[in-house]
Amino acid sequence: MGWYNKRLAKSIWVFHVSASPCNNCDIEILDLLTPKYDIERFGIRLVGSVRHADVLLLSGVINQKVAPKVRKLYEQAPRPIFVVGIGTCPSGGCCFNDSYNLTPKREDIIPIDLYIPGCPPKPEAMIAGVAKLVEVLNG
Amino acid sequence: MKLSENANQIPVGPFHPLLEEAEYFNLTVEGETVVDIDMDIGWMHRGHEFISEQKTFTQSIFLVERICGICSTSHPLACVHAVEDVDNLEIPERAAYIRTLIGELERIHSHLLWLGLAGHFIGYDTLWMWAWKYREPVLQMFEVISGNRNHYGMMRVGGVARDVDPDRVKALDNILDTVDSKVHMIVKAAMDDPVLKSRLVGVGVLSREDAVAMCAVGPTSRASGVPWDVRKDEPGDAYGMVDFDVIVQNGGGVWDKLVVRLLEILESTRICRQCLEKLKTVKGPILNDVKEISAGEGIGRYEAPRGEVFHYVRTDGSNRAIRHKVRAPSYVNIPTFSASCKGIPIADALITLAAVDPCYCCTERALRVKGEDAGTIDFLTLSREKTERIRREIHG
Amino acid sequence: MDRSDRTDAFLQACGNKLSDVIRKRKRLYFVVRDEDLREIVRYLFLDMGCRLSTATATEVYDAIEVLYQFSHDPSGCYFCPRVRMTDKENPVMHSITPVVPGAEWIEREMFDFWGVTFRDHPRPERLLAKDHPNHLDKPLRFGRVS
Repeated sequence: MGWYNKRLAKSIWVFHVSASPCNNCDIEILDLLTPKYDIERFGIRLVGSVRHADVLLLSGVINQKVAPKVRKLYEQAPRPIFVVGIGTCPSGGCCFNDSYNLTPKREDIIPIDLYIPGCPPKPEAMIAGVAKLVEVLNG
Repeated sequence: MKLSENANQIPVGPFHPLLEEAEYFNLTVEGETVVDIDMDIGWMHRGHEFISEQKTFTQSIFLVERICGICSTSHPLACVHAVEDVDNLEIPERAAYIRTLIGELERIHSHLLWLGLAGHFIGYDTLWMWAWKYREPVLQMFEVISGNRNHYGMMRVGGVARDVDPDRVKALDNILDTVDSKVHMIVKAAMDDPVLKSRLVGVGVLSREDAVAMCAVGPTSRASGVPWDVRKDEPGDAYGMVDFDVIVQNGGGVWDKLVVRLLEILESTRICRQCLEKLKTVKGPILNDVKEISAGEGIGRYEAPRGEVFHYVRTDGSNRAIRHKVRAPSYVNIPTFSASCKGIPIADALITLAAVDPCYCCTERALRVKGEDAGTIDFLTLSREKTERIRREIHG
Repeated sequence: MDRSDRTDAFLQACGNKLSDVIRKRKRLYFVVRDEDLREIVRYLFLDMGCRLSTATATEVYDAIEVLYQFSHDPSGCYFCPRVRMTDKENPVMHSITPVVPGAEWIEREMFDFWGVTFRDHPRPERLLAKDHPNHLDKPLRFGRVS
């Protein structure tokens, strides 16, 4: 799918999946779209439906109640689909590891291709992360 | 509830393009009119109260900060108020001003954020881009004070963690000038906007009786004519020493909530200005040494941008709480939907849902990097460079 | 009327129904019997104009207790009636939702997380763990028995 990915890299459409986050990464993701950071200059757009998405932006530790829905979203997304985990929560669980309501294995629910750590990551870091993804897609 | 024959149910969520967070609403409609609304929450529940009981007081401040990214000062502030309330501890004057400054900056940024989102919800993206553009200087002020745009980590039991040195006060003063002029401009523009006015006046009215019965708090109840504000009722920190007004409107609709929030932004800039003036003259320690917390119960509260944040801490004399209860403002504001959404057209329902500025992460309260990722180095360098740059701008 | 007068007036009106009164600066904690709870709450909410902040369930070594926190906004005072249920396996108490409609969610949450059953609650369902895929039963009580 090399040729396809190269075309994908020109204009990535992202869908935002908030799986029990603390809202902060979500706000920073929205911040990327606003005039100061303006990520649309890279062709990246936030879309309203997962059926249009090339990349899923996942934020938050995935709790047990939302896990089946997240899995369903991932299955509904058209292939190829890339998942970017935003923030410390998808990578390490942040401070919520002791909770009774977490899914033990996040990787089983949704395989994450790229982690952008930080609590929350600065918008610059998110842009750097997405640029890395574009690099990978270009091969 | 028994449904009539021509009633339909419209599910909204859990993942919906308009809702920032995963949330599920079940609207029962007859024709175009909403007759009933049911909410299913729990998609964000992370068990904060359970985790907090296993952490020491200082650790749980870090934890409650992560209840919600937008109220990330209100929760720690209410939490330290609760712990201080157990022993009636006092904090140094300088720390009080720093706390109030951060709390009020957060109010400005949260209200601007809501204004932008409300514009987005009614399809008025110009307002969204505008409000969020002018929110950036506020985040920059946070970066100058604490080094992070959100999650500031400033609160401690007995004071604050970091001081604001004189150079920074001067820099903050300069940024506040920008914020002040922009905020005045955008507030004036939004209040005079014929589009917003014709879309929002008289939509989603919450009556005063309903607001009192549902125990609503914050701008939601103040827009319905209930004048309570924790900052005036129980002035903690520096709120007793600064001058400000409580904004009350009587209409109860979405427009009144907008007006309350917009005018509160102006009040907040006034408070920030007074705090910065005081920080130039008031010297002294910023953190009292707290050796131990005795056994007892404490109630701490703070007027977050969305209303009263309530923390209850019960201690047994050790260094951790045996019960830590958190009640976020949205927890009591969201049930008001059942009063304000009934009988309105479905097109107005979403903006009414958004008008209380619901924060589901709060409501449900609910770093190990995998492998050696080269991306982390990039991020660290970027972040350090930015911090360096800001430092240079301040000192140079 | 300043805050101490309010507290005194309240103690005068309902003092005979209260026990274990703890009085702190702007806070009043007291134990009431389950039968008297509605009456006290009616006095606080309707006559005094208090607002229900929240309610907190706690497991102590011999009981489950539910603490309602009422805020008297004009004075910044808190009135906290406490109900103790000694039957830890199956705690039952009266709901205050018929008096205070704002208490609906918090009582459902306590049912959810603590297993406290509220009599006469208009909607006795789970709140946060409704439609939960796994069995999440009384999670906050787990392993807390000393």
